[in-house]
Amino acid sequence: MLEAQGIRKAYGGVVALAGVDLTVLPGSVHALLGENGAGKSTLVKVLVGAVTPDAGVLRLGGRELRITNTADAVDNGIAVVSQELSLFPDLDVLSNLFPMREPLRAGLVDRRRMAELARPVLDELGLDVGLEQPVEQLPLDQRQLLEIARALITNPQVLILDEPTSALHARETERLHDVLRTLRKREVAVVYVTHHLEDVLAVCDEVTIMRDGRVAVPSVPARSLTVDRIVQHMLGDKVAAIVEERSHQGDMSFDPSTPALRLENVTVGGELEDVDLTVPCGRIVGLAGVAGAGHRAVLSVASGVLRPDRGRIVLPGGEPLKNNLRGAISQGVAIVSGDRKRYGVMLDKPIWDNVGQVSSVALRRDGMFLRAGRIRERAAEHVKRLGIKTPSVDQEVGMLSGGNQQKVVFAKWLEAAPSVLLLDDPTRGIDVGAKAEIYNLLRELADRGAVQLVSSSDPRELAAVCDEVVVFFNGRVCARLSGRDLDAHTILEVMNTGVPPRDPGPGHGHPVPDGAPGGRS
Amino acid sequence: MSEATAPATTADENAQPPAGRQPQGGGSGLRRFGRTLLAQEYLGVLVATIALVLLIGAFYPRFLQFDQLMSILNSATYIGILACGMAFLLAMRELDLSVGSTYALTALVCAMLVQDGFNSWLSALLAIVAGGLLGLFNALLIQYFGLPSIVATLATLAMYRGLTLALSEGTQVLGPPLEDSFSQVFTGDVAGVPVTGIVLIVVAALLTVVLRSTPFGYRVRAIGSNPDAAAFSGIPVNRVRMQAFILTGVLGGLAGVLTIGYLGAADPNTGTGYELQAIAAAVIGGTSLAGGRATIVGAALGSVLLGVVASGLAYFSVPINWNQFALGAVILGAVSLDSYVRRRRRQATARGPRL
Ligand SMILES: Nc1ncnc2c1ncn2[C@@H]1O[C@H](COP(=O)(O)OP(=O)(O)OP(=O)(O)O)[C@@H](O)[C@H]1O
Ligand SMILES: [Mg+2]
Repeated sequence: MLEAQGIRKAYGGVVALAGVDLTVLPGSVHALLGENGAGKSTLVKVLVGAVTPDAGVLRLGGRELRITNTADAVDNGIAVVSQELSLFPDLDVLSNLFPMREPLRAGLVDRRRMAELARPVLDELGLDVGLEQPVEQLPLDQRQLLEIARALITNPQVLILDEPTSALHARETERLHDVLRTLRKREVAVVYVTHHLEDVLAVCDEVTIMRDGRVAVPSVPARSLTVDRIVQHMLGDKVAAIVEERSHQGDMSFDPSTPALRLENVTVGGELEDVDLTVPCGRIVGLAGVAGAGHRAVLSVASGVLRPDRGRIVLPGGEPLKNNLRGAISQGVAIVSGDRKRYGVMLDKPIWDNVGQVSSVALRRDGMFLRAGRIRERAAEHVKRLGIKTPSVDQEVGMLSGGNQQKVVFAKWLEAAPSVLLLDDPTRGIDVGAKAEIYNLLRELADRGAVQLVSSSDPRELAAVCDEVVVFFNGRVCARLSGRDLDAHTILEVMNTGVPPRDPGPGHGHPVPDGAPGGRS
Repeated sequence: MSEATAPATTADENAQPPAGRQPQGGGSGLRRFGRTLLAQEYLGVLVATIALVLLIGAFYPRFLQFDQLMSILNSATYIGILACGMAFLLAMRELDLSVGSTYALTALVCAMLVQDGFNSWLSALLAIVAGGLLGLFNALLIQYFGLPSIVATLATLAMYRGLTLALSEGTQVLGPPLEDSFSQVFTGDVAGVPVTGIVLIVVAALLTVVLRSTPFGYRVRAIGSNPDAAAFSGIPVNRVRMQAFILTGVLGGLAGVLTIGYLGAADPNTGTGYELQAIAAAVIGGTSLAGGRATIVGAALGSVLLGVVASGLAYFSVPINWNQFALGAVILGAVSLDSYVRRRRRQATARGPRL
């Protein structure tokens, strides 16, 4: 049993934790919820010794626990998957799995033994990677699974997961939940931080909800809660803006003369096969598929990062896309990526600098000398609008909570006023309230005529925000879902089977303007 | 790649570092050896070195004589040993600019101890220990004053050199006489290969094992690859850094002692500019300045490449005053070629989403 009592932690003037109590029981999965900046990750870091609290005690099985780093925690049977991925990109998979606990033989690291220990865990998680592969070559979801594997390998008595599924697809998440259920049987105590509230109801036994560094709702049984109730508790007296499934109109036809982003016969060796896609201005189109199906390659192609072997991409203005990222950005393409550490923000720079980065530096809108004052004003507006929780725009982005960092990524691209917005898992780690705000923002952008392509690990998100979802299978467009067909369940089914849904029958027709729906698979 | 055999490959590669590896007979062993060789980061520098030797040899066949090649190996030893230590530091995003001065100071210490009547082997040992202490001093400066290593070692570069000049009063100090066993060993050769060169090979082999297969090596690379994650994982960053700096100091001492054994005297100005050549050798060899990855064999080969260039210039009778310029140009060429090849290779192997 892991107990935390009266934990306080302040960073300068920011109080992250103002006296928090938490008790996690063996054989129970304990959800830790709260909006962005509520203090969840800080509490997690205290529990694993990565952050020393200003006050409060930890107890493990009744005796006081003194740990100063995560290696100590592991020695005490406590393992953590941190929110910000903490892998070593240059090292291979195997070398990443045993930091500070490499098995030895004759003084040398025993890689054979490491492989023996790692294989079953990787298999259990369904993580199919070469043990010698450098981690930097892995996509985000595999890196996240690897991080989970690293925690599981230590055979912990207490397992703490800080948004472990933020980059995972539905099937991977399901697999993780199965693992958690097995652990529960083995009397392991699990702390599960997440913003996917349906997951909470699916797998958790108890729920603790935090708000502004305090416990708002202490340990209640998950059975007694609903998503709505949880949202109310999380947001407190703030208006609960719940994301509703939009009612979709079936009609996806459009005037061929409207400006549009066009992919014409795009082929990329081994990834995309002859893809034709037209996205008219003002429309939000979702891209779905299982890993490697090609939906994310479309984003890479549309951002100029990946050069197609054949075919071309034409921007709404009629000009062809330049063949590199910088060129694409100068043409008004924006890329909001969920992999924020790699593509999103400069952690050691203040918010205002990050916000002004694209518009001032890349697009040179502010001339040679940046007008810092103006950028700061604009940044302050974004902070207010997106609800970024921070003392000021001068705060370093690295000191924000994960979800708030992601909002900064948004602010930076919004500031550039893009005409084509590519969103790759854009709301990774963002809480329900802010998600609703961001979906509204995307709507507004669409109304102003922007083209938007969204890929997401969460089909519910696609259903909520898109006008139409294009499902990829084996590098080809296999179905285009709109109207009645556009719901999370159908998306999941089609992307996993590659079989387009049957004609929904008369009444809500399924007109697809360019080409037959998914006749190619 | 088959996961079942992959760890085994690495395991015995570790036991027998590539430098001294013999294929254990049989076609598959040979093929495996070939594949291992191809995958090495230092392949570029190896090919470049051989190509350059052959090129010079095409103009001046005398260059290809065994003795000539061995003398290049001998002259590359000192920078080579320093470069091996530098590769460790670069792998963890640190840098030691004081290695050239450490080299000179330890050589002087060794020579002065001999002058004071100490046994030459004991003097050498003490000089190497002194090198370790100099490295420790660097690490302490970095740790307690929170200085970036480039700044701290820039200061000790001057301090150690200054100490050398002051202690020697600006003049050469003689080491043990030629008939001393110490000098006998280090001026000698085994089957034509100079003992100094053998020392370099042994050092490179040992350190390769240390970097790739010991927990220390794993930690060094982990810290260089992602310092925040390393600290989060409980890796004792300060201690590992200290060990790495001590290692670099010890290697500086070893190089200093070798020069006493081979040349028989300590010159207070010896080793000026070696720090930059050591960095260049490491980088040419395939060690990344961004941290996370390093190759010791590459660093040693890089220093050999520099040696080949230096003596090649003599053959082509480039005026001595142009030497520095030519050397710089070669470093530039090698490094940019390497970076180009690496980028191409990365593009070719990168799979999965690029966003
Ligand atoms: N190193 C730091 N320096 C300064 N402030 C910090 C630091 N780490 C966290 N904070 C602040 O502490 C508060 C709590 O952050 P924490 O990361 O615990 O939030 P969270 O609940 O995990 O949010 P999210 O859902 O976005 O991950 C935030 O206001 C954040 O800005
Ligand atoms: Mg968090």
